[in-house]
Amino acid sequence: MSFKIAVSARDGRTILPKGEKYITLADKDATVADLKRGIADSRPELYTARQRLTTVAEKGKKGTVLEDGKKLAEYGLTNGDTVVFKDLGPQIAYRAVFFWEYFGPLVVYSLFFFFPYLIPEEHGFAQKAALTFWVAHYAKRIAETFLVHSFGHATMPIRNLIKNCSYYWGFAAFIAYFINHPLYTPPSTLQTVLALAAAFTCTLSNLRCHLILADLRSPGRGGYSIPRGFLFDYITCANYTAEIWSWLFFSLATQSLPALVFTLAGAGQMAVWAAGKHQRLRKLFDGKEGREKYPKRYIMFPPLF
Amino acid sequence: MLGRSAYLLAYNATLSAGWAYVLYLTLSTIANGGSLMDVWQAVELPLEIVQTAAVAEVIHAALGVVRSPVLVTSMQVASRLWILWGIVHLVPEAVTARQVAAVSIPGTGGAAIGLSLATLTSVWALSEVLRYGHFAAKEAGIQSKALLWLRYTGFIVLYPLGVSSELAMVYLASGPIRKQRLLSLSLPNRLNVAFDYYVVCWIIVLAYVPDQITGFQIDPTSVLNIGTPVRAEA
Repeated sequence: MSFKIAVSARDGRTILPKGEKYITLADKDATVADLKRGIADSRPELYTARQRLTTVAEKGKKGTVLEDGKKLAEYGLTNGDTVVFKDLGPQIAYRAVFFWEYFGPLVVYSLFFFFPYLIPEEHGFAQKAALTFWVAHYAKRIAETFLVHSFGHATMPIRNLIKNCSYYWGFAAFIAYFINHPLYTPPSTLQTVLALAAAFTCTLSNLRCHLILADLRSPGRGGYSIPRGFLFDYITCANYTAEIWSWLFFSLATQSLPALVFTLAGAGQMAVWAAGKHQRLRKLFDGKEGREKYPKRYIMFPPLF
Repeated sequence: MLGRSAYLLAYNATLSAGWAYVLYLTLSTIANGGSLMDVWQAVELPLEIVQTAAVAEVIHAALGVVRSPVLVTSMQVASRLWILWGIVHLVPEAVTARQVAAVSIPGTGGAAIGLSLATLTSVWALSEVLRYGHFAAKEAGIQSKALLWLRYTGFIVLYPLGVSSELAMVYLASGPIRKQRLLSLSLPNRLNVAFDYYVVCWIIVLAYVPDQITGFQIDPTSVLNIGTPVRAEA
């Protein structure tokens, strides 16, 4: 028996073409994903990642967001019922955003290194070392994007691409301009060597953290779990700790205030994310009704935070 | 409730009086044939105190003591503080050296005002006397139609004159700021960063002025009503 669902915008008007009201589904076992595909068949520009569907809001309440994997029946939807549609706008794959926001700094920084004022200069040791770290760091990020990270959402709104790229590319230019400037003042070679060695160590630690996190999300380990092992035994977001320290050491190795500004800006954003994740894990693992109790850990930056 | 009202009355009345004193100092110096430098020397201390005290308005907005939006209030106060401390206080000789391009007054057959430190301080002072006076009167429970009319009508003249006087100050200060590289940092240095205050000044002007003009045209009250006390829900 076929199963019909009406799809309307928040103002109650149908979003389907030619005044049609219903999407017809195979049977009452149809999932939210099936409905989204039906909508996309009817209006191809509204591909499934652009769609957000909710139940009709009761007075004074918000509608429930429908999750792709669930059956419509699980939300109490029956033949002839209505769901509310919201267009999330043009989407872009998370991976694509990550790639462009990391590829930009590679290119931008290298341009400043190889063309300071368009007249190639002799570079000092600190400048060559800084370029090496920079390229290695962003190459690592790009590699992780394709080989390590898995993404909770496949896509994000396309305007994020512009926002994120401005941030990364802009900071790359700001940092590269001053480090590769002909009037750059390098610190002692010893300072550069020691600090950069520490920065590389932190970068590798960050990679190890990412591998641990990726393992948590591997197939067959469904749902949330508590990150364990390595620095995670002490810190909820140990990956951010390693990242921040690697940039602190880079700033020290190059004696660059712009790099330190970039470090602090990043640390501020990561602190917000880390606090959110720590809260979620604590709420999820509250130690009640047989659930695990989330161990006492620093959020991101021992011994301060 | 009463504490807040009494506090706001005291705050607004004090600042209104403070600005009235700045206005009096400006006008009496000019009337006695004083130079622009004389005006600056007369008003400097009281002006710096009353204008810096406006920081309290941002705190009021942030704490919800008054109904103003925090961001708009901060921008307004920051721009005033920048002109005062970052421009006028930084190079008083330069900004009192001369007037800038005369603004002709409509309907007076060619009478004109040159923009100068004196127009800046008198316009700032007059608008603040009216604004703080209005709020103080409100807290005291006095509803004066005349004061209200004066405030809103005065605003139409005072606001553009104030913004153009501020720009005149930046223009006069920009020469020495660039030549002497004031508040700037040049390479090479151990932080490996350079800072050019001259460029920053123009970036602020370019970012701020269009915002002021469009903001004024779309909704003068957004600027006008900063400091409006929170009223209990009726």
